[in-house]
Amino acid sequence: MSAIAAPSVPARRVNVEPLPVRWLLIGLALLFLVGFLFLPLAVVFGQAFSKGWSVYWAALVEPNALAAIRLTLTAALIAVPLNMVFGLAAAWSIAKFEFPGKSLLITLIDLPFSVSPVVSGLIYVLLFGLHGWLGPWLHEHDIQLIFAVPGIVLATIFVTFPFVARELIPLMQSQGTEEEEAAMVLGASGWQTFWHVTLPNVKWGLLYGVILCNARAMGEFGAVSVVSGHIRGLTNTIPLHVEILYNEYNTAAAFAVASLLAMLALVTLAAKTALEWRLKQQATQSTPLA
Amino acid sequence: MSITIRNIQKSFGQFKALKNINLEIGAGELVALLGPSGCGKTTLLRIIAGLETPDTGVILFHGENTTHMHVRDRHVGFVFQHYALFRHMTVFENIAFGLRVRPKETRPSDAEIRRKVHDLLNLVQLDWLADRYPAQLSGGQRQRIALARALAVEPKVLLLDEPFGALDAKVRKELRRWLRRLHDELHITSVFVTHDQEEALEVADRVVVLNEGQIEQIGTPDEVYDHPATPFVYQFLGDVNLFHGRVHEGQARIGDVQLELPGSPERRDSAVFYARPHEIDILREPDGQAAIAAQIIDIRALGATVRVELERQDDHGIVEVEMSRDQFNSKDLDRGESVYLQPKRLRVFAERNGEENLGSAA
Repeated sequence: MSAIAAPSVPARRVNVEPLPVRWLLIGLALLFLVGFLFLPLAVVFGQAFSKGWSVYWAALVEPNALAAIRLTLTAALIAVPLNMVFGLAAAWSIAKFEFPGKSLLITLIDLPFSVSPVVSGLIYVLLFGLHGWLGPWLHEHDIQLIFAVPGIVLATIFVTFPFVARELIPLMQSQGTEEEEAAMVLGASGWQTFWHVTLPNVKWGLLYGVILCNARAMGEFGAVSVVSGHIRGLTNTIPLHVEILYNEYNTAAAFAVASLLAMLALVTLAAKTALEWRLKQQATQSTPLA
Repeated sequence: MSITIRNIQKSFGQFKALKNINLEIGAGELVALLGPSGCGKTTLLRIIAGLETPDTGVILFHGENTTHMHVRDRHVGFVFQHYALFRHMTVFENIAFGLRVRPKETRPSDAEIRRKVHDLLNLVQLDWLADRYPAQLSGGQRQRIALARALAVEPKVLLLDEPFGALDAKVRKELRRWLRRLHDELHITSVFVTHDQEEALEVADRVVVLNEGQIEQIGTPDEVYDHPATPFVYQFLGDVNLFHGRVHEGQARIGDVQLELPGSPERRDSAVFYARPHEIDILREPDGQAAIAAQIIDIRALGATVRVELERQDDHGIVEVEMSRDQFNSKDLDRGESVYLQPKRLRVFAERNGEENLGSAA
């Protein structure tokens, strides 16, 4: 750049650790990754196919397995859209408005993360179970929540509650309210403002939250296990089905079904990475140039 | 469309942002709300727009009470300091937004929207940017697009919140001249908020000076600059030197120095006199008793003017004097020299609470 001759000493990178330290650290991290992530993943698929493709396939199309897959999909299909709507509403109100009790709401949203899933399951049993608070009333009206599909859906909703909101609150807060104000001054209604201004600005963050929410909804074990009752073909989700098969020493079938969840994890990971890249792009795009 | 602001008060918790504001803005006028940060000027602008509600008082647009009218029904154009362009829309869609969100009965056809947006883009001289996204524009371009977007809905009132605050000095200067020309063309009633006195004086028809939630003075740029109503206005509109003394027989007494003070016959035992840096002469010889002895401690050339900093010999107060480069050259002053100061013009204000806490010469 400059015409002044600089002493021709090779530039030493003072902010970099010496080579052996770098290799040691990278090696440790890799070792950890292989031991705790890649190896288990390989084991899952290895065990699943240990008795051949036909056994693998048979374990997946067996009626009880199909029922478990169907139930998991149903629970996710109900829980994820509901939590998407709830998460959007909560994030919108927290990020864009001031109201008393706001910090309490933020704490409450985090509750499912801080409570052990088993406890969340037990709460539902205590509330809706036959000997619970609302149990007798529900029994009288012939409504069964616990040890039935509704209970599983409820538990799933509770456990996956925070994902969308957690993702959107910081995003919306950083974007502020000026664009919404601009839209309103220009004559847009509340719905138009939400649909044309707020939602497009958070769509990638929302999708990211939904994907995480979905992964958890399909993989949830603890809370669902407590409320399910483990009735084969009726109230077993995929994770519960895996547990049953495993306890029966039916290893190949257990891992075959488990491989479904592993694949879900891989797809989620890929989608998450892609979305993170998009979000980053969006962030750099919205940084003012001047 | 005229705007009438009557008895507006607004508090945020314990903080009184606006204390009983009364203001009349004529149709087609360009008015600046000028004041330091935290003086309530932005709050007042947002109340006019309908983005905030006042605790008490009313806002009338052309005689019609709009205090409780929703912001979307007020038909105002609002330009934000940080532009607030819709980041996921192109420039074209940004400007078209206000037309597209209208109910079906009043929404213009697509062809008409296209024509109108291009007219506005031509008006702000950025027609070639229609397909860009806000992130791809410079700050000055973004603000002009924001203005075009605000004008698209044909507002009856245009409100601008520190419109040039986030821009660099050169672009600022360009844009404010451009805004003035645009206003002369469109004649839309406009109110803009600024903390930059130069900007207010250059652009506005009238300047409203605000301080701590109250109006200090309303007047044309010349009026507020030449005849500031309060010490605050005097100080806010430019650099100022303060001299403590008294008034006696129509004369200002500063230490041993006696100066003529026309139009101020009353007697006062304690008074503060104000003089701007360019209103003080530097003399080589004492002019009887009418000049203050001082020593030059610093000389700084700032473009076309030279600023001389002096220390008074009586009470060691610092005085700043400003003169043109030619004047400076003909006087041939040097650092460390002893000279005499003679104010050409002094202002003294009626006693008022808080007058003394103005601080030293800026």
